[in-house]
This record gives sequence, C-alpha cells and structure tokens, in this order.
Amino acid sequence: MPLQNSLPKLALALIALVTLGCARRDSGQQVVTLWHQMRPEDRAVLESRVEAFEAEHPGVDVRPLYKETEELRSGLESAVLVGHGPDLVYGPSDPLGVYQAIGALRDLSPYFEAAEQEAFDPVALIRLPAHKDPTKSQLVFVGDRFGNHLALIYNRKFVPKPPETTVELLEIAKQNTVDEDGDGRFERYGLAWNYTEPFFLVPFLTGHGGWLFKEPRPEGAAEVPTLDTPEIIAGLRYVASLKKAQVLPRSADYEAAAALFLAGKAAMLIDGDWSWQKYLSEPGLDAAIAVLPMVSETGKPLAPMVAPKGYSMSVAVSDARAPLVAEVVKFLTNEETQRAFLKQSILPSRLALRSDPAVVDDPTMQVSLAQVERGRLMPTATEQRAVWDAMRPHYQALMAGEMTPEAAAAAMQRDAVSKIATLTSRVEPDATAGLVKLLGGVLLAGLVYVNRRTLVDFARDWRRNRFAYILVLPALAVIFLTVIFPLAYNVLLSFSNMSLQNFRDWQIVGLHNYVSLLTGGESSRFWNVFGKTLLWTVINVSLHVAIGVLLAITLNGPVRGKSLYRILLIIPWAVPAYITALTWRGMFDDQFGAVNHLLASWGIGTINWLTQEGPAFAACIIANVWLGFPFMMMIALGGLQGIPKELYEAAAIDRVSRWNQFWHITLPMLKPVLLPAITLGAVWTFNNLNVVWLVSNGGEPSDKTHILVSYVYKAVFNLYQYGYGAALSMVIFAMLLTFSVLFLGRTKATEAVA
Amino acid sequence: MTSDTPQREPFLLTLGRHALLLAFVAISLWPVLDVLAISLRPGNRLRTTEFELFPRDATLASYRALFTEQPFLRWLGNSLLVSTAVTVTGVALASISGYAFSRFKFVGRQTMMVSILTTQMFPATMLLLPLYLMIAKLGLVNTFVGLVLFYVATALPFCVWQMKGFYDTIPHSLEEAARIDGCSPWNAFTKVVLPLAAPGLVITALFSFMSAWSEYLIAAQVLQDRELFTLPLGLKSFQSSMSTQWGLYAAASLLVSIPVVILFMLLSRYLVSGLTLGSVKE
Repeated sequence: MPLQNSLPKLALALIALVTLGCARRDSGQQVVTLWHQMRPEDRAVLESRVEAFEAEHPGVDVRPLYKETEELRSGLESAVLVGHGPDLVYGPSDPLGVYQAIGALRDLSPYFEAAEQEAFDPVALIRLPAHKDPTKSQLVFVGDRFGNHLALIYNRKFVPKPPETTVELLEIAKQNTVDEDGDGRFERYGLAWNYTEPFFLVPFLTGHGGWLFKEPRPEGAAEVPTLDTPEIIAGLRYVASLKKAQVLPRSADYEAAAALFLAGKAAMLIDGDWSWQKYLSEPGLDAAIAVLPMVSETGKPLAPMVAPKGYSMSVAVSDARAPLVAEVVKFLTNEETQRAFLKQSILPSRLALRSDPAVVDDPTMQVSLAQVERGRLMPTATEQRAVWDAMRPHYQALMAGEMTPEAAAAAMQRDAVSKIATLTSRVEPDATAGLVKLLGGVLLAGLVYVNRRTLVDFARDWRRNRFAYILVLPALAVIFLTVIFPLAYNVLLSFSNMSLQNFRDWQIVGLHNYVSLLTGGESSRFWNVFGKTLLWTVINVSLHVAIGVLLAITLNGPVRGKSLYRILLIIPWAVPAYITALTWRGMFDDQFGAVNHLLASWGIGTINWLTQEGPAFAACIIANVWLGFPFMMMIALGGLQGIPKELYEAAAIDRVSRWNQFWHITLPMLKPVLLPAITLGAVWTFNNLNVVWLVSNGGEPSDKTHILVSYVYKAVFNLYQYGYGAALSMVIFAMLLTFSVLFLGRTKATEAVA
Repeated sequence: MTSDTPQREPFLLTLGRHALLLAFVAISLWPVLDVLAISLRPGNRLRTTEFELFPRDATLASYRALFTEQPFLRWLGNSLLVSTAVTVTGVALASISGYAFSRFKFVGRQTMMVSILTTQMFPATMLLLPLYLMIAKLGLVNTFVGLVLFYVATALPFCVWQMKGFYDTIPHSLEEAARIDGCSPWNAFTKVVLPLAAPGLVITALFSFMSAWSEYLIAAQVLQDRELFTLPLGLKSFQSSMSTQWGLYAAASLLVSIPVVILFMLLSRYLVSGLTLGSVKE
C-alpha cells in the first residue's frame, strides 16, 4: 500500500507545518493579557473598549480571554510560582482574599490618585492587608460595576402587583399554584428559584436577621461562622414553610427554575441581575422586576448578597510594565467605558453615572439600584468558600424535605467550623519528614542499583534486539518526557504542606497527608466514596463491553443497512460530552424530564431521579453507559474482523450452537483486542470526573453522588489543600496500578508472544 | 462485499437483529435530538417544559451566528490541523512500537508496557497546576507543537496496547515466510503485517483523532489566544456561570461532531469489510 510507505514522510511534513505555521508572531508589540469572567453579552462591549484603548496606545495589544474560576486561579498561582500568568484578572470580588493570601496581586494604589479614587463608590475599591506586611494596606481591586444581586422577577399576567412582605409573597404564591387539569400535579407554581446553591438562600437568612459570620470579625483571627443562630433557623423555617405549602416545584436547579418561569409555569422567580434581560425580552412573556419583599415579622428586607466586579493586577506584571497595565485598568474603569456598559443594564461603580439618564429613567436600573442598597456586601474572606461548601449539602437536604431547619442549621455550623479549621491550619514538618526524604534518596539509589543489572542486560540485549528497541523508543520518549515533570511534582506535593497558608513557602512535612487521608476525620467518608467508585467503574465497564460486543456481533451478521446503523450508533461518541451530559440531566428532571414521561406512559410510575442518592447515582451511570458503549462497539467490530470465518463454518458443520460458538470462538478471539480497551476503560472510568460532575451538578443531592476524583476535586479546590489532593491522587494512582498489574497478570495480556 | 449479500438466516434472528439495532439507534439519537432542539430554540434556553423536537419558534439564528459572529471556521481549521497531526504521529508511533511489543522478547518489555499504562492513572485535574507551570517554563504557551506533543503522549498508551493486541492476532508464519523470501525485517513488517492490521490502525486513528478533537483541559493551559483556539476551547467560550449561550453551544456541538462522523464513515469499511484477515489466517 503506497499510503503506508509515505506515512513517515507525511508525518514529518505535518509536524513541520504545525511548527512553522503556528507560532504567534509577536512583532515587538507590548502584550497585556486580561483573563475575565464577563457574560457573553458583555464581552462585545469589552472588546470594543479594548479596541478603543489600542487605538489610543499604538503598539499595545490587549488580549481579553474568558476563563473559568479555577482556570483563573491556576493562572494566578502560576504567576506566583514561576512568574508567568495573566497580567490582569477581572471578576467578582469574592475570591480576592484567596488571591491575596497566596501573594498573587500587585498594589494598584500608586496608579490611582486620591482624587481619582473619590469618583468611585467606596465599596468598589477594595483594600486588603499586604501579603508580606499585614500592617500595610494595598489597593488590590478596582471595581467597574455592582451586581450579582438577586431580585424578584414576576409574571404580570399572574401577579399584577409584586408582594411587599413575606406574608404577601406566600399568599400570592398560593393563589398561583394551580392544578388546572386536576391530575394531582401542579401545572403552575407560585414561586421558583435555584435550590442547589446556598447563594439563593442568603436573602431569607438576612431578612430574618441572620448573617453567615460573626460581626465584627475577631481581631487577628479567622472568621467565625454563625449558621445555627435563632435568626438563621427562622430563615430556614420560612423557606421550609414555603416548601410545605407546596408553592415551590419539587426539585429545581438553576436551569429548571428558569425554564419554568419562561414557560409561564412559575408566577415568580428569584434570579440574579445577570439574567434579567433574558426574562424581560422574552417574547410573549410579560415579566417585570421588583425588589425582594420585607419579612413581615422582622420588618427587615430580604437582602441578597452584592458584589462589585472589577480588575486586579497580578504579580506576573514586572515593575517596568506595571504603569502600562495600570493604564489599561484606568481605561476600562473610566466613565466612558462604564457608560458603554449601561446599555446592558449594569450598575456603574462611578458615582457620577448614577445620575445619568440611562440609570435614572430606566425602571430596571432603578429596581436594581434599590436592591443593591438593601443588599449585603459579599465577604472577600477566604473562609467564605468553606461556608458555601458547608451550607450546600444541607440546604439541598432541607429543600428535599430530608432535614428539619434546626438540624440543617446545626449541620451547616458544624461543617463550617471544621472546614474553616482545615483552611486555616498550618502543618509543620514532623518526624516523618526526614524519613520521607531519606527514603526518597534510598529509593532512588536502590532503583539505580537494582536496575544496574538490567542495564547490563540491556546493553547485551541491545545487540540482539536492536530493531525492537529502535521501534519502541520514539513512543516511549514522547510519553515519558511529557508526563515526568507533572508526576514528579505531584509526588513531591503529596508529602508537602502546600495549602493556602503555605503556598509559596511549602516544604516537605512527611506523611501527614497520607495519614490524615486514611485515618483522619474524613476517612470513613473516603472509604464510602471509594466503594461507590468501584461500583461505578464495574457497572460502567461491564455494560460498555456487554453492549459494545452485543451490537458488534449483531452488526457483523447479515443485516441490511448495516453501514447506516453503524454511523447512527457511533453518534453518542461523536457529540461533545459536555452538552449531552447536561441533556441527560434535563431528561432526568422530575416533572418535565423525558425519562419520567416515558416511565409514566408505561404505567411504571415516576422516580424523583436527581434528589435521591440511589437514583441520582443511577442517572450518572446511565448517562455514562450511553456515552461509552459506541467506543467498545467500534473496538469489538475491529476485533471481529480478525476471526477467520473458517472457524465458524467448521463449528456449524459440527452442529455447535451459536451460543457455544460465541463462548468458544468469538470471545477468546476478541480477547487480545478487547483487553487493552477494558483495562484502560476501567482506568478512565475510575477517573471520569466530568460525567458525574455534570449529571449530578457537582455531587447532588447533598454531596452524596461522588466518585473519588470528584470528591478530591471538591475537597481540594474548594479548600485549597494542594498537598492533601496530591496525596489522594497518589492513592488513586496506587489503586489503579494494583488493579492493572493484577488484571493484566491474570489475563496474560503482556504475553501472547507465540 | 461478501457480507452485504445476506446469507440465509432464520427470519426470527434477522428480525431480532433489526429490533435490537433499532432500539439502540433510538437510545443513541434521543439525547442528540434534544441537543438539536436546543440549537434551534431562540434565546438561550437549555431546558423547556414541553416536548418538541422542532420548537414552534425554531430558528437557525444560532447556526448563522456561529459563522458570522464567531470565528468558528478558524477554530475548525485549528482543530483539524492539530487533530490530523496527532492522528498521523500517533498512528505512526503506535503501529511501530506495538509491533515490537507483540513480536520481540526484549529486556524490559513488560516493564515498559505496564509503565506506559501508568501515565493514564493520575486524575488529570490534579495535574493542572504542574502542567501549566511546565508549559509556561518551556515556552510552549500558544504553540500547536506543544499541544500536539501532549496529545500524542496521552493518546499513545492506548494506541500502543491496541496495536499490540491486533498484531497478536496475526500469525507469525506470514512474516517468517516473507523473511525466507528475502524480505528485510522492516519490509516484512510494513508490507505483510501492517496491511493485515488495518482494523487496528483504524481504531488507533479514530481514537487519536478524537482525543485531540475533544480535549479541553490541556488546550486551555496551552492556548491563550482566541485566534488559536481549537473547537473545544471555542465551545467553552460560549459558557459562563449561569449565563451560557446554549443555542450557540448546542449548534456548535452538533457541527463539531460532523467531521467525526465523516471520518468514521470513511474509515469504518476497514472495520467491517472482512477483506483483510479472514482469508489469510490459519
């Protein structure tokens, strides 16, 4: 085949093409990188303002780039560790405490004169104690807007006048919760919101006089959570009473609540300023915005959290470049830029613009402003993340009716205290630190010693098997050169105390992470999740292989239209998994999901899939089986081609049944081809974060739907325990290695050299 | 092709085959049709409370916006370039090293085979930070070479093992005969064994292509410039916490899967034709 002869040449040509064609031509321009978290609608405005800046400053190239929270933080972490990362980051103010704790931010105050600063709402300029010298304060954030606040959106067709008190809210909600066709299910609900994020719970807590943290913050100590106060319990009780009055849908995440309101199936909705335009501009929907009502008992308004959004300069910026980068910040927060954003109904941070006609004459802006004035500023403390994490599972349990308000409050408080303790703990090297270092050295030396003989064997073998070595060398080189550094780094971290407290100055502390992993307070949780992961892996891989082989055998027989079947069956593999996983989540929706409709039409009765532990886990497995069977089918199809037809013909003559043909011919002949796919399939499934994460929306209900990787991900990235996470991934690695060696040994997969 | 002229089979068996295949086709397509509906909906609605394949207010606006307002074609070009490079390099390296692992007993063979598997066992999300540090230090930011290198490295372990598995099913007598006829080891491999391993090459190629085509995590660390984005990065840029552009996302997802389906169509005849092994095997 000519193709095979020219393959190496083609490969070389392509590599050359990729090398030449793709390096970005940096023609001496000054590049300023900006990582932001703007909504898609706002990005066009940002782009146009960046262009305006570039026109005023020839030779400067500002590159805005949307990044997720985790990516943004990993960029800043890299800026701290190796001086390479984004120059500017833009986002809400709440992660600032973390950024400052790892020393990722530069002081902006030299570039913003006092007079300049006075033009801003004081809350939009955030100063924090300096990383190196806590007695000094630094300007780490310049906000260009206010927002992220929740308000009430109501459908005027059902609600002529928005409720002013919580009693009215319940009343109007009751009137609008209707079962039109009398089938026992409500067609319309009075009120809906996102039950999964505690951010949506905050207004009910503040309205009853509660707050997340003790005020004022104790001098020189960590924040103290106050999640079990009578006020908080009163807030939780009110929410539970709404649930009990059945004016809320049984289950609702963010997208489900939005869909209900858009379809006219929820009379009122609580949602944030980022979404209001969507509801107001929906054709056929007469929606309006109102401030959240007052709590009848306390006379306090339901106060949502409010956060400014703005720019911070990273330590990746050198002293020489800092003035230019600060110039970008000034330009993107100036009056003209903020005026450009007014069209998006965004509240400006410059006081002068508050009296702009675009603000004064716009009813939405006025509601927004009124709601902001009633709001509570979102804390920038690092402890906030721990509190969200502590609240989320119990909030979900409360909404599912599985926990009383009192129990939920107690559990939230308990978890928050323990998570904050984890967050603020410092680990010092212990006796095992020296041991680990010593063992590491001995191990390396031992490896060299043991392999000394192998090396001699190698040299001898090289002459005999030179051809084989030359063949495997390129692949081995590519594989190991790229993974060696990340793996070695991970091994080191697993013995270290790298965390929020010791980010830059981490050191080897010994076996601490491993010990706390296997015997610490969370260890029973760890084994529980481990069991689930095994179940997840075994069920998934078995079904992948079973369905894949079944379909391949079916397709391999005399069937008309098999090429069309083949293509249709490969489709789950071809479509990006992110959207199909979310589609599956929608299909498992309690009331509007396709799965329950199908079950109901078959007379089986519906299942509340996503809010119960077992069904939620089953939903994840179903989605993942769907995603994975085409790949196994493809491999089995390929494997079947290697089986000589003569074998079957001979068997047919001997009157061997089809079933026995399958067991004694097909399966054994498929083995060498299926084994690598099963081994690696198990490894990939074990580590498959995405599907579980997307279908269960990060572990719902109440963090009960986790496999090890998603558990690690949540534990580590939310509490910044890098060392602990590295140790956990080492444990995962060890488990998978043991499995692979045992499995491959039993099946003799590395053998088969006849 | 022999297999397309149906041999006689009991009617019930044929019926069973079609019933099974149709059931799985329905299961396969169901969620994808939902994605299609999202892409046709105006506004950015991921969910609805109605069942409708074609929304009453269906519009092609999302598709139009992809090509007129977004650099979708540019991303497509980038992705095609990267994925093709990964496929060619991956298949070439895997086909030769898999052959060595299948046919030769050399020192360290087993250790090497197991150790290339170990590289797949770390949870990728945990390696995010070291990966970024390395990419930044080596100056690989915004280069496709860096990206291709990482992709080949992640695709190779499976590909090498898969190719070894396929070579294992091919009898040794074939090369031995070729060697006796005066073929060099290299020629015996490329002229005799490699064509017989076509199904393996196809699977390896599809896998390499797909692993580059749909990868997000590494690409997000390497490519920091919208112009250089591959498709998964482009798709991701429609996302945003609680205000994702679902219409664009769904439309792009469907378009992204078309090249994969086409590639599969082109290559899958080697998976099913039976023209390679059956007749030559002992």
